[in-house]
Amino acid sequence: MENVKPRWREVLDISMPLCLSYIPIGLACGILLHAAGFSWILTTLVSLLVFSGGAQFMIASMLVANAPMHTILIMLFFLELRYALLGSSLSQYMRGTSKKFLYLFAASLNDENYAVNYLKFATDKGWTPKDALMVEHYSLLFWTGANLIGSLIGNMININLDIVDFALTALFLYMIVMQIKNVLTIFISLLSAVLAIIAMVLIKSTMGLVVATLLASLVGFMVEDYLVKHGHEKGFLLKKIKPKASRKVISKSGE
Amino acid sequence: MHMSSMDHLILVLLSMVVAFLPRFIPLRIFSTREIPQWFNEWMKYVPVSLFTALVVKDIFINTKDYSFIGLGYLAKIVAAVIVIGVAYRSRSMGLSVVFGLIAVALLALVLPI
Repeated sequence: MENVKPRWREVLDISMPLCLSYIPIGLACGILLHAAGFSWILTTLVSLLVFSGGAQFMIASMLVANAPMHTILIMLFFLELRYALLGSSLSQYMRGTSKKFLYLFAASLNDENYAVNYLKFATDKGWTPKDALMVEHYSLLFWTGANLIGSLIGNMININLDIVDFALTALFLYMIVMQIKNVLTIFISLLSAVLAIIAMVLIKSTMGLVVATLLASLVGFMVEDYLVKHGHEKGFLLKKIKPKASRKVISKSGE
Repeated sequence: MHMSSMDHLILVLLSMVVAFLPRFIPLRIFSTREIPQWFNEWMKYVPVSLFTALVVKDIFINTKDYSFIGLGYLAKIVAAVIVIGVAYRSRSMGLSVVFGLIAVALLALVLPI
């Protein structure tokens, strides 16, 4: 009888590793938002409504740098554009759901809960859109809670913000590593690094990031297209890299 | 530009719109239609390019005047290498961030940050 768990408990168990990993990042994010002048109410609101680690860190650091609102919003748009890919790769599993459900599902879609849901949809026939939404809401709850606590801690103690800010850099580095699928992606990453430095030094603004992202991703797209059309799929550049992971690998790619 | 709490609230609400549309529109369109191949092929390279550019901005660019500072933030550069190693081995976001924070905090004691 002990084996019969209610569905919400089963889904909570599946979501738990993800939820726990949100705690340190959420705390760091709450501390930075507090330093950027956000009250705990605004920090809670932005965590609930935007629900994106990258976006919230970016809001905090750009506010500290006194960036104007339109620059922040343009950067956010490009940062959030990647969700278009995540959304389209999950869309096949969302057939037959209502429009209201899609609103709710899209609003709390995020890199990490996507990874969990994509894996479950791909491997578990019994995984429903309702379960997927539950994973999103659990992660949203932990994320918001950690941000709120971070915001309150930021009020009480003095922390070196250069160090806390590195949480975001580490988060992006992790996401880069999870995106590396073949040698070509490594080359595109290096190309984007060089382009980003040149573009930012020349343009003297974060628009340089947008220029580097568009150029590097287009080069990647065109090189892959060329290689596939000329029958080099199995060549050096596109050969899949299999990581020697010590834990179970959750694929973040839209394959 | 200094912002009031009202400006912050407006920023949060506009950010919500900017964050919601890229998540919703493809989900809505492609739950009833096929995804065009070129769109998927191109979008595949957007995240890796953007994340790299953002990391480069954090560890190689002084954002006060957008100058290239080379090894000026050596603590962050060494910590970044550590994070890449942890992320590659563990595939865990939480571990990557925690190790990164510990590494940068310790390295900042002896290296410029």
